[in-house]
Amino acid sequence: MDTKTRDELLKLFQSKLNQTMRLYLETCTRCGICTEACHAYASMGQVRYISAYRHEIVRRIYKRYFKGRGKLWPSVGEAKELSETALDELYEAAYSCTGCRRCMMYCPFGIDTQMLMSIAKLLLVGAHAEPEILTMLADTSIEKGKSLDIFKESFLAGIKRLEAEVVKKWRIEAGKKAIPIDVEGADLLYVALAGAHSIIPAAAVFNAAGEKWTLSFFEAVNFGAFVGDPTRTRLILDRIINEAKRLKVKEVCICECGTAFRTMKQMSGKQPFEVSAITEVHARYLRAGRIKVDKSRFKKKPITYHDPCQIARNAGVIDEPRYILRHLTDDFCEMSPDPRYNWCCGGGGGLVALGEDNLDFRMKSARVKVDQVKATGAEILTTACENCHTQLSNLNDHYKMGVDVQFLSSMVADALVQ
Amino acid sequence: MSADIKVDKIMDLKGMPCPMPVVKVSKGIKEVAIGQVIEAHTTDPGALADFPAWARTSGNEILKTDQTGDVIKFYIKRKV
Repeated sequence: MDTKTRDELLKLFQSKLNQTMRLYLETCTRCGICTEACHAYASMGQVRYISAYRHEIVRRIYKRYFKGRGKLWPSVGEAKELSETALDELYEAAYSCTGCRRCMMYCPFGIDTQMLMSIAKLLLVGAHAEPEILTMLADTSIEKGKSLDIFKESFLAGIKRLEAEVVKKWRIEAGKKAIPIDVEGADLLYVALAGAHSIIPAAAVFNAAGEKWTLSFFEAVNFGAFVGDPTRTRLILDRIINEAKRLKVKEVCICECGTAFRTMKQMSGKQPFEVSAITEVHARYLRAGRIKVDKSRFKKKPITYHDPCQIARNAGVIDEPRYILRHLTDDFCEMSPDPRYNWCCGGGGGLVALGEDNLDFRMKSARVKVDQVKATGAEILTTACENCHTQLSNLNDHYKMGVDVQFLSSMVADALVQ
Repeated sequence: MSADIKVDKIMDLKGMPCPMPVVKVSKGIKEVAIGQVIEAHTTDPGALADFPAWARTSGNEILKTDQTGDVIKFYIKRKV
């Protein structure tokens, strides 16, 4: 690596060094309590998947360039040169970590592996060594924000074709739009994913609740966050923030997408609207009696729920899905005694978006998740995140788990009582 | 297949969840030569925005879009 490249990468490293990050970089005592916390280590038993080992790759670069002893006497300062080899190690550490933060629950100092891996990911972006698929997807999202007028008409036509499916789930008054879009003054802006499965059930439930809602032109997922690029993350968020402000909505409801919800909730800053996960909104409708569901719809099938890490452990939405499930079944089996310690599905952090490239790793590293699901004896495995749903479906096929993997919002829509 | 466009590769992306249609097309386009055309079939309505945006950022060209029922067909020419 030439000096100019290294200097540029170190500037990126420096940009991440706030007080919290320095604390994470300086407090690990290598006590080893995090060892069994990572699903990849617990499933595969390889040292490189221990959280502290991942930290150490970043930490040693930090010591080499940002600490006095590493600068003056690197050979005794546990310091590591920022080199091409180091970039390979950073890649391995960052893209085998799903950012689930289960290890943070065990760490006595609360060291946040996801934050430390964000340094690794930023250095990879700076070196153009990140997974190019994730950057391509982020740039596609940003382009949609820039060129909305070009896509608007065809998108509207595509959405119109879904309306009949929405009406099949919930009849609406003649003349009312089953999927309102671009409605100024609506109370709620729903930000879906690109697929019809993310739009049709949600639309039926909003209509059943009598919500004054409108569908976003943009998809919720933030590939900028997956690839760890703060500039792209912000540009993708801004498309939705600007749309919400333009339409003067009071609430932005994010579909079943963990990263989309967490980034919008925690990184959009102070805004004139609330941010909610669709699970929170559905629980609210049930509490207020705005929707009713038929419990017999899923009778005789035990149900378990996988808490998406970015929605539950990392954003606090834990009670709401259980409240919904109490309305859907009398046969709910918890997956973990404490949902905050639930195993990650193994598909987060952009790993699912990499598709078949890392399928083998995703399957091997999530064996503990499979064991956890099997132990519940459930026939229906429900969740509230697209990434988790894809990964759990892949695990279901790979390990022949024999469960029916469902989105929680689809179950609510399917059980609606007219 | 469109009568007026010579297609060199057909990709069946029907039923694939987000973001797989764009991921697959971005890989598939590299498997044809510059100037050749792929025909991608998807059922994802978001593709109507995703594919043109991807084409603009990647420098490729969408020659035509057809929609029959739930299936959307994109004819994409590799330009770079």
